[in-house]
Amino acid sequence: MSAGAANKFLDVSSVLARWFLGGVFVYMGMSKALRPEEFLKLVHQYQLTDSAFVLNFIAAALPWFEVICGLLLVAGFAVRGTALLLVLMLVPFTIVVLRRALAIHTLQSIPLCAVKFDCGCGNGEEWICRKVAENCGLILLAVWLLAGRGKQFCLRYQLLR
Amino acid sequence: MNVQEQSQGASARQSIVGKVLGEAILVVVVGALVALAANRISPRGLSLARDYFREANAAVPPSPTQATTNVSTASTATNEAAPSETESAIARLKAKGLQVVDFDEVKKLLHDPGYQTGSIIFIDARGDEYPAGHIPGAYQLDYYHPDKYLLTVLPACQNASRIVVYCTGGDCQDSEMTALMLRDGGVPNEKLFVYSGGMTEWDDKKEPIETGARNSGQMLPTNK
Repeated sequence: MSAGAANKFLDVSSVLARWFLGGVFVYMGMSKALRPEEFLKLVHQYQLTDSAFVLNFIAAALPWFEVICGLLLVAGFAVRGTALLLVLMLVPFTIVVLRRALAIHTLQSIPLCAVKFDCGCGNGEEWICRKVAENCGLILLAVWLLAGRGKQFCLRYQLLR
Repeated sequence: MNVQEQSQGASARQSIVGKVLGEAILVVVVGALVALAANRISPRGLSLARDYFREANAAVPPSPTQATTNVSTASTATNEAAPSETESAIARLKAKGLQVVDFDEVKKLLHDPGYQTGSIIFIDARGDEYPAGHIPGAYQLDYYHPDKYLLTVLPACQNASRIVVYCTGGDCQDSEMTALMLRDGGVPNEKLFVYSGGMTEWDDKKEPIETGARNSGQMLPTNK
């Protein structure tokens, strides 16, 4: 494959990755935004905060915020800033999910990959090993976009010039 | 590469990092505002000010006069096995001073003459699931969006002598939080009962299920 063809392939893959990542976030966000009380219960289970306001804020705003980030990526608007935010959301979330899975694994003495629960990701109960692997994939895609890929078919790739 | 070129490269990188951070901050601020507006507009939106789990966290010691049923008694049987989901739920309900009813008791209440006169009422604490199937004649009181239901439910509670609150069952806590919300709202604790088996058990036992609105008369076919 020539250098030009390889670059073209990378460009197309990057745009597809951006659309895919954006689509995943729109889907995950909408599935939570349509049933925010279910998401609220799940966030409450993580025992992240004692503040009712903070808990409500997370459950009320985060799903819609995910939808907005997804739409920005699909449209190609402020791509790198949005990709940075996705990394900042996905990394701590994956750590929190993994910590809860480890707690269940220890408590119930079952293999880590046999742990299954609704992590609040928008798809109901999931095998946690698979979910963590999926999230790592999404993080890599977001880092890929953060590194400056996926500039084609953008409304406004860079918001601040 | 000379010093000047290196300096220009570093400066360009800093500029890109600054722009990306700036973009991210802008997206956070605008995105959070839009997200809050969307939550506000959405019919399923949450209130930021309400403490949804206040009732769940507030334990009240049970009074010695409070009735318990055979299921709750069974749960106290001594065995070394880990408590089941139902047993844990019953223990939790009792710790909050709530009375528990089991399937047989609920079935009896449904056939009690008091059910026809409104002296025994059922309250379904679920949200969207209610129209798909509920205990016949049950009032809906969505714990997370109670405002539009309270005007109907509170007078019914005042006239009733026994109020059975249920949700999905299992680890669902909406029924107990609804019961506690009603108790905080002035409904006497003696009237309030929680059916811990919930709709899942009711459905599993092939009992009659009404669909649509309350008293719609539309029943799901049972395979009894």
